[in-house]
Amino acid sequence: MESVGYYILGVIVTIIVAFMVGMTYMGLSRKITARVQNRKGPPFYQNFIDAFKLASKETAIHHGFMHHAGPAFLMVASIMSVLIIPVLNDGKWFPNLNFDGDLIFLLYIMVFGPLGMALGAGQTGNPNSAIGVTRGLSQMVGFEIPWVMALVALMMQYQTTSLVDLMAVQQTTGWLMFSSPFAFLAAVLAMLGMFRYSPFDIVGAPTELASGPVSENGGKYLFTMMSSGSIFAFAKLTLYVDLFMGGADNLIELLIKTFTIYLIPMLYGMVSPRYRTEQAIRYFWGWPLFFGFLALVHAMVF
Amino acid sequence: METILTIFIIFIAGATGTYFLGKLSGILRSVIFITTLLVTSWLFFTAVSPDVIIEFEIMGILMSWGLTPLAYVFAIIVFGLAIIIGIYAIKAMEGQRSLNFFFANFLLSVMAMFGILISNDLISFFIFWEIMSWSSYFMVVLNHKDVQRSGITYIIFCVIGAYAMMMAIMIIYSYSGSVMIGDFISNFHAFSLGMKWLLPILLLIGFASKAALMPLHVWAPGAYSNSPMSYTALFSGALSKMGVYGMVIVMIMIVQQIPDGYWIKEVIAWLGGITSAIGTLWAIKQDDAKRMLAYSSVAQLGYIIVGVAIGTPLAMMSGLFLAVMHGIFKSTLFMVVGAIERQTGTSNFTEVTGLIRKMPWTFLAALMSIIALAGIPPLGGFIGKWMLYESLMGSNHYLLIIVIFFSSTAAFLYCYKFLFGFFLGQEEKEWSHVKEAPAMMVVPMIIMAILTFVLGVFPGLILKPINDGMQFLGYVSTDNRFWEMSTIFNDWGNQVVMEPIVYTIFAIFLFFLIFLTLKGYKNTRYVTTKDISSSGEIPREDENLTFITGFMQPFFRAVAPVMKRQIDKYYTSFGKGLEALFDFTRRIYTGNGQTYALYFVIFVILLLMFRDSLF
Repeated sequence: MESVGYYILGVIVTIIVAFMVGMTYMGLSRKITARVQNRKGPPFYQNFIDAFKLASKETAIHHGFMHHAGPAFLMVASIMSVLIIPVLNDGKWFPNLNFDGDLIFLLYIMVFGPLGMALGAGQTGNPNSAIGVTRGLSQMVGFEIPWVMALVALMMQYQTTSLVDLMAVQQTTGWLMFSSPFAFLAAVLAMLGMFRYSPFDIVGAPTELASGPVSENGGKYLFTMMSSGSIFAFAKLTLYVDLFMGGADNLIELLIKTFTIYLIPMLYGMVSPRYRTEQAIRYFWGWPLFFGFLALVHAMVF
Repeated sequence: METILTIFIIFIAGATGTYFLGKLSGILRSVIFITTLLVTSWLFFTAVSPDVIIEFEIMGILMSWGLTPLAYVFAIIVFGLAIIIGIYAIKAMEGQRSLNFFFANFLLSVMAMFGILISNDLISFFIFWEIMSWSSYFMVVLNHKDVQRSGITYIIFCVIGAYAMMMAIMIIYSYSGSVMIGDFISNFHAFSLGMKWLLPILLLIGFASKAALMPLHVWAPGAYSNSPMSYTALFSGALSKMGVYGMVIVMIMIVQQIPDGYWIKEVIAWLGGITSAIGTLWAIKQDDAKRMLAYSSVAQLGYIIVGVAIGTPLAMMSGLFLAVMHGIFKSTLFMVVGAIERQTGTSNFTEVTGLIRKMPWTFLAALMSIIALAGIPPLGGFIGKWMLYESLMGSNHYLLIIVIFFSSTAAFLYCYKFLFGFFLGQEEKEWSHVKEAPAMMVVPMIIMAILTFVLGVFPGLILKPINDGMQFLGYVSTDNRFWEMSTIFNDWGNQVVMEPIVYTIFAIFLFFLIFLTLKGYKNTRYVTTKDISSSGEIPREDENLTFITGFMQPFFRAVAPVMKRQIDKYYTSFGKGLEALFDFTRRIYTGNGQTYALYFVIFVILLLMFRDSLF
């Protein structure tokens, strides 16, 4: 029973860290965007205030069971990803599920949430939600291809599908972003779509779709979605650090590395207008796909 | 008497009884039908063991029947599906016409599939193959709709496959003098090099036409969508697997023996990959659920064929596992469509919406099967997909894996379209009278949905017979090397442990579900789907804002270049060319005696002119 207790403790601590970091990053991104646009902007802890406000709302409406359970599906995906992805190097963190799932499993569990969420959004009957979902899924087909190419290149080059092994490899070879540069490029370009900042924010385009899939949600539902989003953001950033930047030995190092990675989609988004869905898909099937091919060739030759 | 023979006699008696006694009363027909299926399945699961072989002679040809361990895996699919779909069919087919014929034919199909699996000689294999083709053809044209297009297309591809297979059988017999499959495999090295290439290709054409491998897949959408859904569940779930069964034997036992046979494997694997990609794209485009699922079947069989063709232990395991899983979730989906069609009268996404609150159990079955189809953990489809990817990586198929990834990611689009189109969206008054399907239809669907889950958590349950079958094919046992009851490993020793993962998923889901439900329980209320905030406007009662027409339009704008080419067009122009040729022949055979006399005169003159050089 002790191991089960330890496991649950690990899960809870990991979730809390992921939640805090994700929320702070999102707040920081709002602040930085505002400064770039020469506004004052909200304080960096604004997202915590928003989340607290949503959580303390008493009334809520729903359109049926799937809508009611949609945020729970979303949470499953976020928390499972954060449990599969090792937070620190060499088992300096709780092992969670690091050894029970591999990269392919991770790829699939990561889409579990969006699909569950899409079902919830579908039941609301709001046309904007469904339109947003179709755009989101189409865009996902777009960025998933270069992303998978990058991962396949890494996995085949180092003959392992385990994240822990890939992190161990980097202890000897150095960061994979230098030894497999093309895979890194493809993965980073795919990341732009994964984070859904501009120019790939057509899914929830605020002025056009009234936030898309999120519309019709409020109070506790929106709170759960928001928390899930920040946990998921942390999971994705940690994944990039683990895969390409040699992981991290302590939390401070992790924070520095993840924030550096986080700046890429954020800063790219600030100077970009919004793409239509087919433009977004074609974007991912252009240069990112080319770098993906180079990565595969690189993996084949070396 | 041998159990196998008993099963056959029961099937034939059952089919005859269903047909003739069914004319007396409908209840009698159902009773005979379901008893036949129950007794045969019970006999199969309890009394048939894989090592009994019976031999007898008919008209001087030695026939040999017995169940190999490989066939046992497929027989599990056939009998498991037949009994569940059979129960479903009784209620689902209520009120349709030609019921006696339908149920007798259903039994004949199951019997033919069992016959294929137990045949150890090519003659009985071919006979059962033909019975299967014909019984399924009659089902395709059962409702007298679209006979010209779907029916004829289907039977043409059946015949192409059958001719190819028959040619191969004749060659084998004339060269080696034996029609035993075992003799053929052990004597294969003695054939000439040309025959070594020709025979597997002919056999593969025969099997691939049933498994709907590109470019022989043209019949599938029409045939699957045109038969009654109660049969399509069996058609796509079990019948198409007979093609896979044949391909497994050819790929492993025969192609292995060809020098440079490696290339056949690569070509078939790539065809499988392209089939899955093209099938998926076309599935997304369909507005009719039957056609969508038909294209999806084509795509899913593509994955299975990739696994079978690659042929490493992990790949073969994934192919066979996916075959079982596809049988389960695709037949459930076809049953769901059948239930919806029965309750609403249509299977078109653009017509019917918002059924989730009216048919909740059907929705649950559909949801589970769709999750399994999409390959999302923790349901069974994931295990198969995972093994397929790992095997592709372990065997250095760098590009094929990307194709497979593309098609399985794109599959999310039609998965969502299926669920959204039928169950979600705005509820309409037009469908407010719809009730849940009868229990006899819902229970089989739910059982299948639970099966997808059980096999997802404990894949070892079905990997055990698969392992036995693979050992029969000559593989080393994969037990504890690639799988345990709840764990799967890849070529490099990395693992996915399902049990803790599943428990964690459930814990998280339940925790947040309880949180969402209990928090502010009294102040949470349900509102209808008309009560929405759509740009500040509230739709009126008669307005329907569901977005379903042109559902994935932006995606198709992106992939438009791929969709332009269609294999059907090439077949049509080939057919037109043939027609022109026959027209020309028709001008020679005018039917006029005088013309024939003229031909004769010309022939004699020619003979006289060339007599020196000819004789």
